Amino acid sequence: MAEEDPSWREWMRAAQQGDRAAYAALLTAVIPPLRRLVRARWPRAGLAEIEDAVQETLLALHGSRHLYDPARPFMPFLFGIMRFRASDVMRHTRRAAARETPIDDVPETSGALATNSTVDQTLDAGTLRAAIARLPAGQRQALEMTKLREMSLEEAATESGLSVTALKVATHRGIKALRKLLDGSK
Amino acid sequence: METERLIDCLAGDLAPVRRLPPPSVRLGTWLLVSLPAVALVAWGSGLRPDLASRLANPRFLLEEAAALLTSLVGAYAALCALLPDQPGWKLWLPLAPMALWLGSLGQQCLEVVLRFGPAGLRVTSDAMCLPAIALGGLVPAIAIVVLLRRARGFRTTHACFCGALGAAALGATALRLYHPQDAAIMVIVWQLGSVALLSLVAGGIGRLLVRTSEHGHLA
Repeated sequence: MAEEDPSWREWMRAAQQGDRAAYAALLTAVIPPLRRLVRARWPRAGLAEIEDAVQETLLALHGSRHLYDPARPFMPFLFGIMRFRASDVMRHTRRAAARETPIDDVPETSGALATNSTVDQTLDAGTLRAAIARLPAGQRQALEMTKLREMSLEEAATESGLSVTALKVATHRGIKALRKLLDGSK
Repeated sequence: METERLIDCLAGDLAPVRRLPPPSVRLGTWLLVSLPAVALVAWGSGLRPDLASRLANPRFLLEEAAALLTSLVGAYAALCALLPDQPGWKLWLPLAPMALWLGSLGQQCLEVVLRFGPAGLRVTSDAMCLPAIALGGLVPAIAIVVLLRRARGFRTTHACFCGALGAAALGATALRLYHPQDAAIMVIVWQLGSVALLSLVAGGIGRLLVRTSEHGHLA
């Protein structure tokens, strides 16, 4: 496991009390070791998957701040969260890859069909993740399950214990709220 | 670039949180609620007349201690399972006292078989064990679900089944204090069987309740 900076524990303690500067410093500091850990655990993962796993871990850490005990080291806490969330990301990626068909043999003129450049897609993904992070917990969870993890409504209902109708409502409201947030950020 | 933006967003929305007490403290809270409730059920059902002599019997004490330990370790494992930094071995710790419990009863069954042959292991109906253990484990089960719901942590499925095991084992511990049934095979079939069944059923219900709280607040 990566070396732990002694200040991380303090920053996390401060973050639990609402210190935004300490929290931002902590999240920035843990990204390089987090990337290394993800890469070490999934050596075949591509850069985009690693970044997805890192971001999912940060989102889960954000929702689990209350679980951290400052008497214990911070790195095992972060590593534990990474194992759960990054596994989800990798599983989802593998499933998606199994469903998709490579189109390497399509003539080069088909490039003209692309609507967004890779850079634009990366920026769009970042904006979207940032906006999703700002949604209320229920809407965020519904969108994560039905849209990001691409679960069916039935699968999401089984995992969440909610009815399909409740999930539909939460997803609908989430998309509406997301649209407002994205329109506002333009 | 996008990860930096996410960090800005998360830090910008940061609000103070109330830290969850350590599992040992939360286990204390669970016992504080559960033990009086279970004692009330045992006392209300009428303690068995031979309780004093049974409490002097080392084998009875070993079985009761193993059942109680299964309950405590089950609840502790449930509370640990929610935390991402807890090691995996703690999650499977309830298997140790359960093995002791089952082993002690199994040894008695073996002794009966050696003395009287397989005919000595006669199972008759003792169906009151299931509702009695369910009644004894009801308050502990509610208490553990409340504790798990408040935590909103990880590995909730494992936590719920361990918590249900803790509650059912506590109900079974109390049952031996008011139900005069000591035949090992009967205890295995009716009491341990009830504990296993209730753990599965209550664990499944608890999982739904805990997960609903995780994904709740939909508005």
